Amino acid sequence: MSISETIQSVGFLTDIRESALVYPIIMSTHLACIAVFGGMILMTDLRLLGIAMKDRPVTEVVNQFRIWKRVGFCIMVTMGALLASSEAVKYSTNPFFWAKMSFLVLVAMHAIIFRPRVYNNTAEIDRAPTLPGIAKLAGALSLTIWLGVLSMGRLIGYYEGPGSPGKPQATITRPVNIGQLTR
Amino acid sequence: MFLAEANPLNASELIFPTLEVIHIAGFAVLVGTIAIVDFRLLGLGLRRQKAAEVARDLGPWTLIGLTMVLLSGPLMFSSDPDMYYLNRSFQVKMVLLLVAIVFHYTVHRKVALSEAAGFGSKAVAWISLALWVSIIFGGIFIAFV
Repeated sequence: MSISETIQSVGFLTDIRESALVYPIIMSTHLACIAVFGGMILMTDLRLLGIAMKDRPVTEVVNQFRIWKRVGFCIMVTMGALLASSEAVKYSTNPFFWAKMSFLVLVAMHAIIFRPRVYNNTAEIDRAPTLPGIAKLAGALSLTIWLGVLSMGRLIGYYEGPGSPGKPQATITRPVNIGQLTR
Repeated sequence: MFLAEANPLNASELIFPTLEVIHIAGFAVLVGTIAIVDFRLLGLGLRRQKAAEVARDLGPWTLIGLTMVLLSGPLMFSSDPDMYYLNRSFQVKMVLLLVAIVFHYTVHRKVALSEAAGFGSKAVAWISLALWVSIIFGGIFIAFV
């Protein structure tokens, strides 16, 4: 058995894959986290760009959302990992899945690069007469990377796998493709 | 049937996923901004700002998110109206959406803008969160019922 076959043959992952209810519940939870906690990431980015919540100090926005963004990120990743590992064979050959993982590596790199200079340096940003360029850069890049994660994540469901002719197929006239991977 | 085939949205296979991405980004803005106000009402974040300030800050963004989902959603619906119209999850989602929008612009707004904290405002925050999260579940389950 290949690694991906071994992963998805684990008992509870097989149960998830074969359950008509658990799989969509996990997927909905994944999406609900995108909405609630992704929304917080988004508003933090827009604050760093000086577009939203301009009357609130950057320090407030960054610090108050930080714990929730972390909690949300953990739930989101757990749900995503369950979805992917329960269908490991299909995901491991899905180019959009790997594109999404690459964008998530960029998320980590973004954090490493900008945390000391922006997210842990908000007092100085608030003192500056105008928003420093590096804060705007951090916000703009974060938005771009997360849009990449979102787009690639959605396209995972449209890839029909090797052997199908040509490019990714979209079932346009009957858009039930969210569940395509499980059917 | 006729509608689905004649719809130019079905001409390219990239249009539907693009609409979905706009829809998801839109509900992240919509639900995310409402959730921030709810978290504030629950005392879970932005405690140094008044709930009314947070709500006023985020109101325009909530409207932007709502516009994004209300533009992309009906377009997706038009790609296959028969399927959606008869889909139980879609029907439930539409009812919940209507309730959530009315709730948001009446009770929720009133509570967020009045400075009164307490049991009532917390209940409103929980109802708001529950409504919007249910709508997301309703959207995903369209593909599974």
